[in-house]
Amino acid sequence: METLVTLLLALPIAGFGATALVGRRLGRQAFWLPVGAIVTAWAVGMVVAFSALTGQPPFTGEHGQGFGFSLYRWIPAGDFTVDLGLYVDNLTAALLIVVCTVGMLVHVYSIGYMEHDPGYWRFFAYLNLFMFSMLLLVLADNFLVLFVAWELVGLCSYLLIGFWYKRRSAALAAKKAFIVNRVGDLGFSLGIFAVWTTVGTLNFQDAFRGLDQKIAAGALEPWMVTGIALLIFTGAVGKSAQFPLHVWLPDAMEGPTPVSALIHAATMVNAGVYMVARANPIFAQAPEAMVVVAGVGIFTAILAASIAFTQNDIKRVLAYSTLSQLGYMFAGLGVGAFTAAIFHLVTHGFFKGLLFLGSGSVIHAVHEEQDMRKMGGLARRIPWTYATMLVGSLAMAGIPPLAGFFSKDEILGSAFRNGFLVVWAVGFVVAGMSAFYMFRMMGLTFWGESRVDPHVAAKIHESPWSMRVPLVLLAAATVVIGALLGWPLEGGTIHAWLDPLFEPARELLGLEHEAFGGLDVALVLASVAMATLGLAGAVRLFGAGAGRFRWPARLADRDALVASVPGARFLYRASVNKWWFDDLYHLLFVVIGGRAGAALRWFDERIVDGSVNGIATVTVAAGRGLRVIQTGRVQNYAMGIALGLVALTLAYLAGLFR
Amino acid sequence: MNGVPILSLVTFVPLLGAVLIAFIPRGHVRLIRYGALAASLAAFALSLAALADFDPGASGFQFVEQWDWIPAFGIRYKLGIDGISLALVVLTTLLTWISILASFGPIRERVKEYMISFLVLEVGMIGVFVALDLFLFYVFWEIVLVPMYLIIGIWGGANRIYATIKFVLYTLVGSLLMLVAILATAFAWQAGHGGDWTGAFDYEQLRGYAFDGTLQTLAFGAFFLAFAIKVPMFPFHTWLPDAHVEAPTAGSVILAGVLLKLGGYGFIRYSLPLFPDAAHAWAPAIIVLSVIAIVYGAIVALVQPDFKKLVAYSSVSHMGFVTLGIFVFQPQALEGAIVQMVGHGLITGALFLCVGVLYERTHDRELAKMGGLAEPVPLYAATLGFFALASLGLPGLAGFVGEFLVLLGTWAVNPPVAAISAGVVILSATYLLWMFQRVAFGELSDFLRGLGQHLTDMSPVELLTLSPLVALTVVFGLFPALILELLHGPVATILARTGGGLDLLGLVR
Repeated sequence: METLVTLLLALPIAGFGATALVGRRLGRQAFWLPVGAIVTAWAVGMVVAFSALTGQPPFTGEHGQGFGFSLYRWIPAGDFTVDLGLYVDNLTAALLIVVCTVGMLVHVYSIGYMEHDPGYWRFFAYLNLFMFSMLLLVLADNFLVLFVAWELVGLCSYLLIGFWYKRRSAALAAKKAFIVNRVGDLGFSLGIFAVWTTVGTLNFQDAFRGLDQKIAAGALEPWMVTGIALLIFTGAVGKSAQFPLHVWLPDAMEGPTPVSALIHAATMVNAGVYMVARANPIFAQAPEAMVVVAGVGIFTAILAASIAFTQNDIKRVLAYSTLSQLGYMFAGLGVGAFTAAIFHLVTHGFFKGLLFLGSGSVIHAVHEEQDMRKMGGLARRIPWTYATMLVGSLAMAGIPPLAGFFSKDEILGSAFRNGFLVVWAVGFVVAGMSAFYMFRMMGLTFWGESRVDPHVAAKIHESPWSMRVPLVLLAAATVVIGALLGWPLEGGTIHAWLDPLFEPARELLGLEHEAFGGLDVALVLASVAMATLGLAGAVRLFGAGAGRFRWPARLADRDALVASVPGARFLYRASVNKWWFDDLYHLLFVVIGGRAGAALRWFDERIVDGSVNGIATVTVAAGRGLRVIQTGRVQNYAMGIALGLVALTLAYLAGLFR
Repeated sequence: MNGVPILSLVTFVPLLGAVLIAFIPRGHVRLIRYGALAASLAAFALSLAALADFDPGASGFQFVEQWDWIPAFGIRYKLGIDGISLALVVLTTLLTWISILASFGPIRERVKEYMISFLVLEVGMIGVFVALDLFLFYVFWEIVLVPMYLIIGIWGGANRIYATIKFVLYTLVGSLLMLVAILATAFAWQAGHGGDWTGAFDYEQLRGYAFDGTLQTLAFGAFFLAFAIKVPMFPFHTWLPDAHVEAPTAGSVILAGVLLKLGGYGFIRYSLPLFPDAAHAWAPAIIVLSVIAIVYGAIVALVQPDFKKLVAYSSVSHMGFVTLGIFVFQPQALEGAIVQMVGHGLITGALFLCVGVLYERTHDRELAKMGGLAEPVPLYAATLGFFALASLGLPGLAGFVGEFLVLLGTWAVNPPVAAISAGVVILSATYLLWMFQRVAFGELSDFLRGLGQHLTDMSPVELLTLSPLVALTVVFGLFPALILELLHGPVATILARTGGGLDLLGLVR
């Protein structure tokens, strides 16, 4: 098993190295090495994951105990040591399934999608580096290796968002993503320091045990545990783009679409969710921190959903929906529904990966156009894309029996049962909103009349097989995976896999294991009804059936509609302007920060350096002045000596030297 | 290797090279260049031999050589190294040959004098790290000043005279006071030993001696000024940007890569063990200054329009981590400070080389004029990007481990100080990525397009200077144990002498 896990990491990094070295010379053939490496890694990853999930040796420990080993001792500094250690348990396995599968399909998809790009080899090199980093992230057995991988996926995200570096907007978005993430990473690193100073180790299992012991012995104040949990959570807020650090993800859509699918929907942005789930023993000891997690999550869910309502860029709609769904996951974690949150991570990884790849296929078809106002009526022109995206949208809307339904309803149900009624209520509303904006997107893109540029319209074409196959496979997964893992609700396979892992945390939080009952049926029916309502509203507004719902088909009418409702105008503007967060941050950090920097520079040049030069000036002037008394006459010097003696004597008598 | 005076060889082989070069007629430029390269490579090879023969497990100094020099005052020629000095010696010999190689293209005037200056500079730098006699240490310390003065003053930029005089006067103020302090400690030793001068300048003797409080305070102050100016700490840093901007590329590499480390080394070797009480008394103030340097350097770097000044101010910020790590008196932090010195030497040295590569082609350093280099010169852009990422502390590269350990150790004694300092990772990411975007991304700027054929990617020589730094930045990032294993012993010794556990706010549990 050591060999397999090591191989899992070695394959993508070798693919990266080989492609970086020789990729440029391979031209259009550059994809063979990196894609081959990832396909092989996928096979290895599946073997590792299912060995863990089915309890094959060496995964025979109790309570989801995993299997870990160390590659080598990375940092030995006195009593602080960190190994490059790897660890696989069922949680890792669940993540491996998503990362390897979506990663592999995105690689295959990119063969076609990036075909005409001059940076073909560079793209695959970066993708391989990302796969290595992401796999290291889920395999890490301690906080510091997790942090390393955390930064490395951030680096890959930076490189891939800025892949088309000539575009200023891409370069700026890449930088923004990295810097905003660093804000979160700051908190994360402080959390790591705090863990080490508290328990003296960074290894996950040892640290969790140590913390429990310290708390049991009364050696830790509760606020300290809460503090550690919140610091770690700050990192998750950055990486998973939760409020108030959510601003980087929509801009990240500047990257090529396969990148958006892989990094900014299916894998990297989930890292925060994974980390909080991994650190569940810490969070379970800090119920206040759990409330914060739930609050931030559900607030992000509704904030992002409200913005997604009015976006016209197809990828930005998906980006905001990703924020919103990640918010659901954090809400799930916060209310103690760890398994449901990870379940949602898995299903979301598949259906959102599908949706992004589908949007890429759309963009490809209409010649790099992303504005949905210049789409419409594409359903018949690109039927494969349409059909698969429809599956994805239905899944995302939470329509049974597709993937999103099972996982989302488990989160909402747990929120209700665990007493987080506000979380449930907001989540319930967001379910309707999600269905609405997803089908607004479908309507604007695929239904109604074509608004495509006439020059382009003639050349619309369905994507090549290398892009269609991943779409179909992901659609198939989206159809089956919910029921496969989640049926029956609260008792499906995913619970068999993950519940033992989270059992101690549940006990600590005092959460009961309840069978799926009558109340849950009511909740499920309510949220399905809500989703259907949103879906139906969108379908009506954005015109399915080519003209049967003419009212109000024209954009101007919708504007009039918005204007006629009191308050709606403000909400509409707020949504279009993304609640002005970007403007606020620009003012705070770019404008005011820039002024502060300029002021400090002035201080440095005038005051600090000015006083240095001032001393020099004074010295030179003093030298010129003192030259006057340098007379060369012995009498004058004798006089000076005499005066000095008198002065010293007087000073002595006055007691200055005692 | 018993009996071979390896340290003397490392130290004086460059001098031998300088003397030989002095006999080469100035017209034979190639011979002079390769001669200097050979001498510096010989020193590098010898330092590697010392490294190979070094026993990290043994306590105390190794390869010790001593002869009487001025017996009347107990002054001896005494050399020896521990893991700390060894790491810095190897860094010095590495960066020196890289710098000499990097000077092949840019330096075309007075090549002979230049190469001689550089080799003499190397003698001084290595000498500082290997000297175990305070008088000898002082001599080497001042030797460094002269060739650097010439390198900036003769081969520097337009405003070189101002910069070099500022550099020398500023440094001299500190070092003369240090000389007074060295003499004062020697007199105090002699007075305490019934007038016997034996051992009055011997580091190993002095560090076991308890100087009285007043002397400690004054002498620590004098040493502090010398080292703080060299590091440089806020507010003694303003000579640095001027010196960097005016210095030729190789001068900047050595300045950032080694000269700044002399200050950090001085604190660790002398200030802490010789004057432990004063060090504790002064530590809170020094920590505050370090934090100011960390934050202030980063903010000022953020608004620099000049490529080289940006890197220079980033040095102020990065070196702040070194002084912070030293003065919290905590093992992880102190080891981190030394790792940070090595990492900063490699990475910032490389960044200055990158600035030089661009300057060679454009004769300009204004960031606003750059842009879009990723396409015409991809190799250069990739190298610059690599070192920008290393400098902002990307884990897996050499810049991360030092900073992390310093902050970890600082957090253990004072979380707020660690939190403020750690916050700078956001600023360093901002100015470095801004710089990189400015230089490499976007469309090719009009200014650069105007260069036409002159805008070439890195030459083989430039590649040769930067590739070892790339390799080592990766190696030390992945295997920091290679340095750390050298440090456990000496760091424990120093902290045992100094006493640990600085507790500014009473937060230690």
